[in-house]
Amino acid sequence: MASVDITGLRKLYDQTVALENIDISIPSGAFYTLLGPSGCGKTTLLRTIAGFHEQTAGRIAIDGEHIENLPAHRRDVGMVFQDYAVFPHLSVEDNVAFGLKQRKMSSRDITARVAEVLETVQLTPYAKRMPHELSGGQQQRVGLARAIVIKPKVLLMDEPLSNLDAKLRVDLRGELRRIQQELGITTIYVTHDQEEALAMSDIVCVMFQGVIQQAAGPLDIYLKPANRFVASFVGANNFLAVDRQEGRLVLRSADTEIDGQATKPSDGPLVAAVRPETLQVFTGDGTAPSSSIAIPAKIQEVSFIGREMEVFGITAEGERLKVVSRPDPKVINLPPGSPVIFAAPRDELILFAEGETGARL
Amino acid sequence: MAGRLLPRRVDFWTGVTILIVAMLAVLLILPILRVLSLSFVDADTGAWTLANYVEVFTRNYYVKGLKNTMFVGLLGTLGACLLGIPLAFFAARFHIWGRAWISTLAILVLVAPPFIGAYAWIMMLGANGFVTNAFQYIGIETPTIYGAGGIILVFTLKFFPFVFLMTQTALNAVNKSFEDAAESLGCTPLQRFRKVTLPLVFPAVSTGAIICFVLAIADFGTPAILGRGFRTLSTIAFSAYRSELGGLPTMAVTVSMIMMAISMLALLAQRRILSRRRYASSLTNLPVRQHLTGWRNWAVHVFCHGTVLIAMLPTFVVVYTSFLKTNGPVFVGGFGFESYLRIWRTAPDAIFNSFLFSLCAVLLITIFSALISYVIVRRETAASGAIDFLMMVPYLVPGVVMAIGFVTTFRSGAFSGISVATLLILLYFIRRLPYGVRSTTSSLRQIKPSMEEAAINLGAPPLTAFVQVTIPLIIPGLIVGSLMGFITAINELSGTLILYDSGTVTMPVQIYLAVLDGEFGLAAAFSTVLLFCTGICVFAVFRYAENRESTFV
Repeated sequence: MASVDITGLRKLYDQTVALENIDISIPSGAFYTLLGPSGCGKTTLLRTIAGFHEQTAGRIAIDGEHIENLPAHRRDVGMVFQDYAVFPHLSVEDNVAFGLKQRKMSSRDITARVAEVLETVQLTPYAKRMPHELSGGQQQRVGLARAIVIKPKVLLMDEPLSNLDAKLRVDLRGELRRIQQELGITTIYVTHDQEEALAMSDIVCVMFQGVIQQAAGPLDIYLKPANRFVASFVGANNFLAVDRQEGRLVLRSADTEIDGQATKPSDGPLVAAVRPETLQVFTGDGTAPSSSIAIPAKIQEVSFIGREMEVFGITAEGERLKVVSRPDPKVINLPPGSPVIFAAPRDELILFAEGETGARL
Repeated sequence: MAGRLLPRRVDFWTGVTILIVAMLAVLLILPILRVLSLSFVDADTGAWTLANYVEVFTRNYYVKGLKNTMFVGLLGTLGACLLGIPLAFFAARFHIWGRAWISTLAILVLVAPPFIGAYAWIMMLGANGFVTNAFQYIGIETPTIYGAGGIILVFTLKFFPFVFLMTQTALNAVNKSFEDAAESLGCTPLQRFRKVTLPLVFPAVSTGAIICFVLAIADFGTPAILGRGFRTLSTIAFSAYRSELGGLPTMAVTVSMIMMAISMLALLAQRRILSRRRYASSLTNLPVRQHLTGWRNWAVHVFCHGTVLIAMLPTFVVVYTSFLKTNGPVFVGGFGFESYLRIWRTAPDAIFNSFLFSLCAVLLITIFSALISYVIVRRETAASGAIDFLMMVPYLVPGVVMAIGFVTTFRSGAFSGISVATLLILLYFIRRLPYGVRSTTSSLRQIKPSMEEAAINLGAPPLTAFVQVTIPLIIPGLIVGSLMGFITAINELSGTLILYDSGTVTMPVQIYLAVLDGEFGLAAAFSTVLLFCTGICVFAVFRYAENRESTFV
């Protein structure tokens, strides 16, 4: 159990910025996830913490002790790799014992510790197997066991589930979280899968272009995105043009004033965002409730995918809107081009400044 | 490669990189620079001069040698391509009975002692050769084996496996869809081969050809044995060195520089041509082998098996000759072990020396291959890029040149205390190191870096991670590379001839001396011993290159 504090971390590759102004504070025992698209710097950050990359500037402290200049083998952080990195020439138990042997532990203690950890990851029957006799999921359990057996201060995981198939990914995700909570080990987890991040984490840190966009609890990330990038990357979102008319804000496609939605004053151009699952579709004979903003649109495509339906419409301004809701036969049977009303509840509307990472207003 | 010379954080591998660079500087760069600088020195006065180069380019003796070298080099390469390309195409595109056998024989031809071909052909087609005599008996005059024609014949039969093996590998990797597309667009099979298949494998063909050319112009044994007045640069450099003994070998090194320049120019030309031809190909649609019928089938089989059998003929002749009954240098009819007994009586130390020097060199090759390939593959510094580049140099420097560099650098001044045996070991080591590095590097490239990172992350210092994780994973490549290093080291002739003294005679030197003395029985027995050792190594390479890989992938 240990807290992690990163201050002013910066990493340059030649002239390219890989990480900039990274300030992170992770409380002891937390599950902290770095989330972002590929190339956002999340893996670079993780590998810098592990000591495989050298930072250009900044400090990394575990429990207040600075480790940024220690060589990788003396940092005492366990790492789980995307490609498992299970040693192919060693059996499962020798893989798990590897780190303990480096620590010159007595062979009796090693045997006991290995058995205990294999029990935790449910691999006891496979102790004598060679890695090539194991499935991908089992190999990753070996990778996990090998990392936690040394009781590291911090556990680092680099997209550990991304090479597994969808069902196994969900199963193992629950198990990872269970083991992490049982051991109470501070964990930094890298993923590009937002569902994984939201499901497992205490804190989600969204990164883009080497910069932290927002670090908060999963619910806050989803419901209170700090900027436009977070709003579009985590979950789906519809973005609609907003005009200023005589100092008032107006949703262009609905020609409706939305001044009350802004939490901060601003004078630059801005956009409104609304989540697909908050929109409702009304056909010609229905009427939107008065608490909603009615956006007239035409149906582009409706797809019924079982538990829900996805409705795509296009406004008179040419903005594409997506709605996800309970299947409604009336809507599903609408031919393309049919006029409909998309109703957006006023308090679901969020405003952002223009631009890819425009701040929330 | 990143711009930085060494990584900022200094660790074990920084030290290793410095060690490797220092080793290459002393054993590779220093001798070459020494040769280079000596070529600008006047032998009598010791002053700087260009006169040596003027002499090489004006005196008929040297100009003729240069022309001869280019002539046999180019025609030998052409011959190797004319045999190698069709052979590769037939083996890759048609069902050939005994294809594995053909490849095995081609590899054996490749690794057989380099000068066996030359003197075995003398035994067959020389002035008193058995084929010559047989034809003379029925009244037919055979063309002479001595001179340019014989050298080109030996080069062709000795070097075609390079073209064959490289082209075959490339042909097996050509996506069949390209050929199908050409056919559906209306190409006849011949047009398709000329316009699609051949351009696609051209990079491989040209690489094979350039290896042939570089080896052909560097070859010493073949022109030395078959030349009879037809001199090439390597024999000229050797005799210049011999006649300049005691003084400064300025003419020998000047000729050496010309040889190196030719090799480098050839390589640069090939790089330049290839830089405009880069074909990315996905292997979705593997080529298929066609069944031939009728006379075509017969012709293709006769060509394939005939080529490798003729190329192996010298080896058969040598082994056969070694078991002939002899009395001194004279064959007296019947079979016997006299030749082997004479080895034992006259020169057992040659066998001992060959093994001692080669094994010591291979030990060094193995250690440095592992370290160098790690630095090349895993460390992205300017130094590792430079090491990668330097690993190509020993291929380009003829043995005679390297050995003269060693003599002029290490037999004088601060280094003069080094024994001849040590020098020979170091010479074999530096000349054959690239074989080990190449094989180990390709093995290491298949190992994911996360393996070592995992070990380091678990608390293993860099050296421990390397020994406990990296080495076990690259063992197959390391073994194959070391075996290749051993095969080529134990067969080394040209460099040894410059350096050896009475206490450091090796088997190839004994064979060379025996051939010059007309002691064919003795030469054959030595050659057979060498062939036997080489054969065992080839067998081991086959085993390790196949079985071990599948257990780790």
